[in-house]
Amino acid sequence: MMIRFDDIEVTFGDHIAIPKLNLEVGQGEFFTLLGPSGCGKTTALRTLAGFIEPSAGEIYIDGKAATTLPSEKRSVGMVFQNYALFPSMSVRENIAFGLKVRKTGRSETDRLVDEIAAQVELTQEQLAKNVSELSGGQQQRVAIARALVLKPRILLLDEPLSNLDAKLRVQLREQLKNLQRELGITTVYVTHDQEEALTMSDRIAVFNHGVVEQVGTPEHIYNRSATEFVATFVGAMNRLTSEFMQQIRHAGGITLAADKSSYLRLEKVALAEPAHGASVRLDGVIADRVYQGSHSTYTIDSHGSRIRALVPEGGAQPLVAGAAATLYIDPTAILQY
Amino acid sequence: MRNSSWRAMLRSPLVVIVLVVLVWFVATFLVLPNANLLISTFFPEGKISVRALEKLVSSERALKSLWHSFALAATLAVTVNVVGIFIVLVTDYFKIRGSRVLWLGYATTLIYGGIVLAAGYNFIYGKNGFITNAALKVFPDIDPNWFSGYFAVVVVMTLATTTNHMLFLGSSLAKIDYQTIEAARNMGASTWRILWRIVLPALRPMIFAVTVLTFLTGLGALTAPLVLGGTDFQTIAPMILTFSKSSGSRDLAALLAIILGLATIVLLAMMNRVEKSGTYFSVAKVATPLQKQRIRNPLANALVHVAAYVLFVVYALPVLLIVLFSFLESTAISTGTITWDAFTLANYATVFGTPAVLKPFVVSVVYSALASLIVVLGMLFVARVFQKHRNPVTALLEYLLHIPWILPTILIALALVMTFDRPNPLIGGQVLTGTTLLLLVAYVIIKIPFTLRLLKAAFASVPESLEDAARILGAGPLFTLRTVLVPLVLPTAAAITALNFNSLLDDYDTAVFLYHPLYEPLGLAIRASTEGENNLDAMSITFVYTVLLMIIMGFTMWLVYGRGGASSRRRGSRRGTPRAGAGLAGSGAPAAPVPAAAAAVVTVSPVPAPGP
Amino acid sequence: MHKRTFTTASVATIILSTMVLASCASAESGGSEGGGDAGGTLIVYTNSNSDGRGEWVTAQAKEAGLDIEIVGLGGADLANRIVAEKNNPVGDVVFGLNNMFFETLKSEEAVTAYEPAWSAEVDQESGDPEDGVFWPLVEQAIVTVYDTNKTPEADAPTELADLWEDSAYDGRYEVNTALGQATPQLVLAGLLAPYLDEDGDLGVSDEGWEQVEGYFAHGSPAEEGTDLYARMTRGDVDFGVLPSSGITSRDAEYGTKTGVISPADGVPYVTEQIAVIAGTPRQDAAEEFIDWFGSAETQGAFAAEFASYPVNEGARAEALPEVVELIESLPKQDIDYALTRENIGAWVEKTELEYLP
Repeated sequence: MMIRFDDIEVTFGDHIAIPKLNLEVGQGEFFTLLGPSGCGKTTALRTLAGFIEPSAGEIYIDGKAATTLPSEKRSVGMVFQNYALFPSMSVRENIAFGLKVRKTGRSETDRLVDEIAAQVELTQEQLAKNVSELSGGQQQRVAIARALVLKPRILLLDEPLSNLDAKLRVQLREQLKNLQRELGITTVYVTHDQEEALTMSDRIAVFNHGVVEQVGTPEHIYNRSATEFVATFVGAMNRLTSEFMQQIRHAGGITLAADKSSYLRLEKVALAEPAHGASVRLDGVIADRVYQGSHSTYTIDSHGSRIRALVPEGGAQPLVAGAAATLYIDPTAILQY
Repeated sequence: MRNSSWRAMLRSPLVVIVLVVLVWFVATFLVLPNANLLISTFFPEGKISVRALEKLVSSERALKSLWHSFALAATLAVTVNVVGIFIVLVTDYFKIRGSRVLWLGYATTLIYGGIVLAAGYNFIYGKNGFITNAALKVFPDIDPNWFSGYFAVVVVMTLATTTNHMLFLGSSLAKIDYQTIEAARNMGASTWRILWRIVLPALRPMIFAVTVLTFLTGLGALTAPLVLGGTDFQTIAPMILTFSKSSGSRDLAALLAIILGLATIVLLAMMNRVEKSGTYFSVAKVATPLQKQRIRNPLANALVHVAAYVLFVVYALPVLLIVLFSFLESTAISTGTITWDAFTLANYATVFGTPAVLKPFVVSVVYSALASLIVVLGMLFVARVFQKHRNPVTALLEYLLHIPWILPTILIALALVMTFDRPNPLIGGQVLTGTTLLLLVAYVIIKIPFTLRLLKAAFASVPESLEDAARILGAGPLFTLRTVLVPLVLPTAAAITALNFNSLLDDYDTAVFLYHPLYEPLGLAIRASTEGENNLDAMSITFVYTVLLMIIMGFTMWLVYGRGGASSRRRGSRRGTPRAGAGLAGSGAPAAPVPAAAAAVVTVSPVPAPGP
Repeated sequence: MHKRTFTTASVATIILSTMVLASCASAESGGSEGGGDAGGTLIVYTNSNSDGRGEWVTAQAKEAGLDIEIVGLGGADLANRIVAEKNNPVGDVVFGLNNMFFETLKSEEAVTAYEPAWSAEVDQESGDPEDGVFWPLVEQAIVTVYDTNKTPEADAPTELADLWEDSAYDGRYEVNTALGQATPQLVLAGLLAPYLDEDGDLGVSDEGWEQVEGYFAHGSPAEEGTDLYARMTRGDVDFGVLPSSGITSRDAEYGTKTGVISPADGVPYVTEQIAVIAGTPRQDAAEEFIDWFGSAETQGAFAAEFASYPVNEGARAEALPEVVELIESLPKQDIDYALTRENIGAWVEKTELEYLP
């Protein structure tokens, strides 16, 4: 195990930010802390970085207790949400800062900076600039280069993409993942964006109110959400009314509880008879259709529920608002909490 | 999320060293001397004396003067803001023709003050002032004494204390995200609505901070009421001055000072609150630099132009007059009859004819430079520790460091002389009285509160993540302070240094009890050359010295602003001095709240440097 | 890079200059601490250094073989400074302060007795007849003046009280409200002297306080930075208070012809004194300076140069005739300076709190 949180508790005055945290991150793993803002994920990351001292518990890095180790001795590199580039220094000086602290020789420093700059695709010209002259994406790369140039064993990323526009975000997501894979560096990534978490992570820990609700692979988290919170926070969900559920219970042979909240993923609702798998048929009326290229999202009113369905495009004639529709639902896909 | 635990604070050797040195300094130079003096004042023969309070309460004059001081402070808090904001707007916000020239005119208060400033206005608008005389010729019914009392004091002090607005509000204005203004205009907001609803609210924390400084200036007003207040409007400061010089009345002086001090403390507490919590504003992701606004209504535009230039004339006249008067015979000045024959170089000849005229200049420049550099350097560490570690101990130390704002300078000076006139174990058994060091110590002490306040605010506006970043990269606290933080607060630090230097240059009150006989500072030299029963040229010689001082102070301000502006322009960054805030904004955090009162003070507005 | 050089340079400056200052400091403190150091420059404290007096005394002393450094401060400030420094004196000799200040210095044991060589040539009554701690040098009268060109002698009052009791003079005379200074304190002492009454408030009868109240209530407060004679020339006021030595030069400057009110009780006189500062390591040099400065020869030359009225009878011949004439025409008011010294602080305080405009 590269990182282990052992019964970590963090308090700020009277406020308990993290009541009791147990987590393990494996060597070379891309591990994501996912949750809404204020859920404690950044606190956990900062505790790991050594900026916050836990009030109880131990942190182990590479098998050794690191709870009281100062951050610079933990061999972690960190990229901050706002990048925290030093405005008084050039790009090169920013990247070389940690080397300068370690009194690395000038030629060695230059070599290392050039090397990492090439890896994150920063040009020599950009290295000479002042950080304020760079675009957001370039600043992000500087921040990553600055963290990686010291060759840390762990890379911490605190919402590094949140300040970028959508397209750049998707692009950098891949680059970041590729870089991580190339370097094989253990990475802890904090985000509130479930799509980012699902696409990049090896494993995800979903945080809510300082508590980890579920840890698992993206597939696991998405398909077998352990709690109602995870189910609703990760990915889109249909919440099914009791009237709707009654219909399903009537039709299907499966036993579903009547007193629980029931959810169904959008893509588990079909508007055409599926080729295989047991399914329940329900009637409804199309309320709206949003065309999204490869697929469309339909909104259907059915038995007191407003059901959204993700339907691949192509083939069948699209249904228009007001048209009658038949829903095909696999009752085993219904999640109850 | 400050980590304010005691353990964390005491784990850093730098913090421990700073705290130990600070505790020693505060105990030795602030608490011990002043406590000695106050105890012997209020507890003569070991018993508490309420004599001072009784005297004070039964004196109608004292209560009236006290009331006047508070009234003046309250009035100034309003008027200085009106004029100061107007000045900042016409020089930095609106498109006004010749705004650089206007700026230079408004900036004249940076390089002179005190008695000369008050006298300058008196020579123009006073009973025998030439504006009054001219007006009397046209309208003989005007009261020649129109410019005196409360009104005159408020006018003169309002104009004289807009310095802080110029320096600190200007920089806040420069940091407003221009996109918010564009957005407002896009939604059809008028120039005034934008100003009222967008610009001024964004400046509010800084306005509050300079208001506190203004209020304090008002409370301590000394020369303007003396010269212009007449019998109807005298303030408490002259009374404190008289009483602190008489050993029997020192308790009264201390009591009055403490009453003003309490007001100061209340304000300070409010200021601390605002800095700690209260107003937050978020920094834009990519701040667009402010562009000057055209006033679209032609009538309003004309009116603002007129007002700006009228104000310019009002500001510039006394300075021109002082320069002019320094070339005039003193009788011509005092009797108000200026003819061509009255022009003379004799005043300059007198000043430069004095043996060793240069030495006091050198002495004062050395003392002022040393003191202002030491205090800024020391407070860089102290402000940093205070800002990073908030707990009862640092809070107490911070309040103790404000003692110089609470006690009159004369009492502080006397307390120092009397405490260090014998070997003191706290300073290694040395005697400081009669040495050249004591005056330096005093100068450092009296500049602490101003320096601390502004530096603390400057540090507070540096995003915390920068420190974390430096720390995780392995930089020690000292290295981080030196390479990351200090460069960011350097513009503020440089401005404070210059302001401190300028204000110490002609100091009299501190030096009079503390200076070493062989190293006479300038304030004493000026006083010596203007005092004397037969010295009728006192005022003209004061003017000569003022002109010389203006040259030195102007040069200092140029060193800090003019040059800084030039070098950053060369680097091709945005207008003016290296602007930390603007640089940061590029990599800004939309979610990270920055205490605004603080952020506002972080950089000092660039000065359109004279010349290229 | 710019910044780094800036900080390095400033740090270097600080260290260097502090070292310079510290070395001066230790050299100086070594000088004033160790009683053995009898050499070096004699530090002379005075409030009478203006108008070129300081330079004149320094130059003359040098000719006489005395190496001195003049430290000039206003009277009240100087007295405060000497008292504050008394445990570690910086100055060696003090001269020019009036009796009142010297009484304070004496009671604080900040000055020490020495009988000068010229003690027989002065009227010891003007100094410290009991203990001989301080010795008189120069006499001045504190007079109320007017310009006879504007105010004929017949229109001037004969008694000071007329100024505030006669409505004709209401607001026409200048009162100096800066009671921390020596001259206004003497005026106050002069006003109260006839009304001393042990049963009254602060040793003064109610009538005395009424005088003070009237004096300030009907006067025109002095304007900071504007000379009395300038105000008289402009017509702001007709009367004002001035030490007698200031008359000659003002008449020359403003073209006035000064008249002086001479009340029957006389006017307050101040006698400037000289004494050795207690604890000086340069006792011998200090005594030598006093012997030289108070001598008939030096005082005579001083009087001729600065229109003073010397106490040393041997020097009177050198004094300017008009000065001698004026001083001798003005009777001396009977003021008990020892008593005044004890009470002046309280009197100033009361006046400041209750009577100033």
